[in-house]
Amino acid sequence: MRYEVKVALRYLLSSKTQSALLIGGVAIGVLVFCFMTALINGLATFQIEQTVGSIPHITIEPREQEPRVLRGDGATILPAILRANTQREQIRSWQTTLDTVTADPLVRVAVPIVAGNGLVTRGQAVQPVSITGVKPEQLSEIASIGDNIISGSADLDLDGVIIGSRLARNLSIQVGQPLVIRSDRGRERNVRVRGIFSIGIETLDERVVYMNFKSAKALLDLDNGVSRIDVKLYDLNSAGDLSTQFRTATGLKSTSWTEKNRRLFDAIQGQGSTGGLIKFFSIVTIVIGVASALLLTSVRRKPEIGIMRSMGVTKSFITRVFVLQGVLVGLLGALAGAGMAYAFCSIVAEFILRPNGRPVFPVDPAQGAYLFGIMLATGASALAAILPARAAAGIDPVEAISQ
Amino acid sequence: MNIAVQNPVQDHPETRPETREPLLVVSNLKKDYVNGDVVAQVLKGINFEIYKGEFVAMLGPSGSGKSTLLSILGTLLRPTSGHFFMLDHDLTTASEDELTQFRNRNIGFVFQYHHLLPDFSALENVMFPAVAAGLMSSNEAEARAAELLTRVGLGHRLNYKATKLSGGQKQRVAVARALMNNPAMVLADEPTGNLDRESTAQVMELLREINQESGTTFLLSTHDPNIAARCGRKITVVDGKIASIETVAAPSKETVAA
Repeated sequence: MRYEVKVALRYLLSSKTQSALLIGGVAIGVLVFCFMTALINGLATFQIEQTVGSIPHITIEPREQEPRVLRGDGATILPAILRANTQREQIRSWQTTLDTVTADPLVRVAVPIVAGNGLVTRGQAVQPVSITGVKPEQLSEIASIGDNIISGSADLDLDGVIIGSRLARNLSIQVGQPLVIRSDRGRERNVRVRGIFSIGIETLDERVVYMNFKSAKALLDLDNGVSRIDVKLYDLNSAGDLSTQFRTATGLKSTSWTEKNRRLFDAIQGQGSTGGLIKFFSIVTIVIGVASALLLTSVRRKPEIGIMRSMGVTKSFITRVFVLQGVLVGLLGALAGAGMAYAFCSIVAEFILRPNGRPVFPVDPAQGAYLFGIMLATGASALAAILPARAAAGIDPVEAISQ
Repeated sequence: MNIAVQNPVQDHPETRPETREPLLVVSNLKKDYVNGDVVAQVLKGINFEIYKGEFVAMLGPSGSGKSTLLSILGTLLRPTSGHFFMLDHDLTTASEDELTQFRNRNIGFVFQYHHLLPDFSALENVMFPAVAAGLMSSNEAEARAAELLTRVGLGHRLNYKATKLSGGQKQRVAVARALMNNPAMVLADEPTGNLDRESTAQVMELLREINQESGTTFLLSTHDPNIAARCGRKITVVDGKIASIETVAAPSKETVAA
């Protein structure tokens, strides 16, 4: 095999311009492949982070009640859900559930939440809100409220609330000013705005009022239970499996973020398919380029191949020389292309920015699938070389020598 | 591939020197080229034999079938019918792989248009048949190739690219390459056809010397009677048949190119 490598290398070096163009072509194919991979993966990560960054990966809630069969008069059977209006749905044994969930090594944090609807009033202005009671130290565990405070602080004392920027604007209220909050249980409490946040998600910025866990419990009449447990994981891809596991373990309703964001998931998959198509064509271009260039080489070197055959060089030797040329072109081109792709992705991610400092293209240089790209391009080039190699090995020495 | 010679030339009209051992035995060899409905008979039943150590010229006008015959004897082309044997092997029934191996070990070629590998040096060209077939290590092949190149008078051109050599030098490299695997027979197709007068004389002198020194058998096709006069025997092919086989009484030392 060593001598085949030498001959293949010699052939490539003898027509430097053609080889350089060929390697350049493969490199550009791999550059497109890796850049598209980094872009599609980066975009998916970006979109998921944008969405999932502010929501729990898994939400554990009280189980919805099953329809019960009510026996009517005679043979009439009525399925019905009986809701106890006097009692809010809640997880009563939430401490046990919290312990079970927290014990799982895949769980980063589990946050008990009390939640309910209410109205905030300031003077004549009234706004419907979603009251979210959370332990002060866990305020930023699910949505990063603490990092997005635009005014005031993220301290949640018993009489304080943190509200979104849109709600503050609607109420024309500022940090330190008082407001009245009334729950749908009919309870009321005077509180002060301690901080105003802006996350960029409308439902949070306009609707949510964060309260101290204890104050919210009292306001929402949930002395013993919690409304839900929000869970963040180390790896958001494990949400589906873990959600099922928690459902079984706790007997409660457990929903993963993918179930709640089906559309996003479908959109990401759509992007992936489009990117896959572009990547596929970049590899096809490599195959066509390598195959046509080596076919030309086999025609140009016909007399030489004829003389080699007359020396008793086997067809398999000639085949190997041509396949090796494909492998060498593929490998060198792919290495160059992957290197260029990494540099290009890094430049795009680092220097091509919007005025707010975020990249124009959400490229993630770490997700370029470089090794896969190198292996794929090298393999494709080797495959592309098979046709020219067979053509070269099949050259009739008598005809070639008489040329 | 151990097929014994079945003595196919027992009734050959030519007298066979009983003291010498046949290397190549050709028996009723025919070759047709078929093109659609047209069948061209290029070889119409060739019979002859060549003995070990001979230096034989094959004469004949263009289109007489010399090159086709040489290609068949060199195992590059299969005959339509008939047999030929070299070193007791029936080369008409051997598989392609067997022929490739046989050719590599036992037959050397020298062509009219030198046909060196242009991207390789003189030394590498000569080494090629041995190294590509894995017969020798690079070092062994290099030593033998250098020795052969020195023998053909190109010891000072070992690392010259084939393209940098003159016509006569290229042909001498081709001769050295043909001898690399120490073949039983060298087939030379118009080896001086493309050379000037001086180079022709040098190459013919070289081939004759190698034949004398090493006993390598040579069969060379030519249409030049002066070259044929330097050979031990002349086989004349006309219109796909052997017209005559003559022994040259005293092969001349001087070669005058036509």
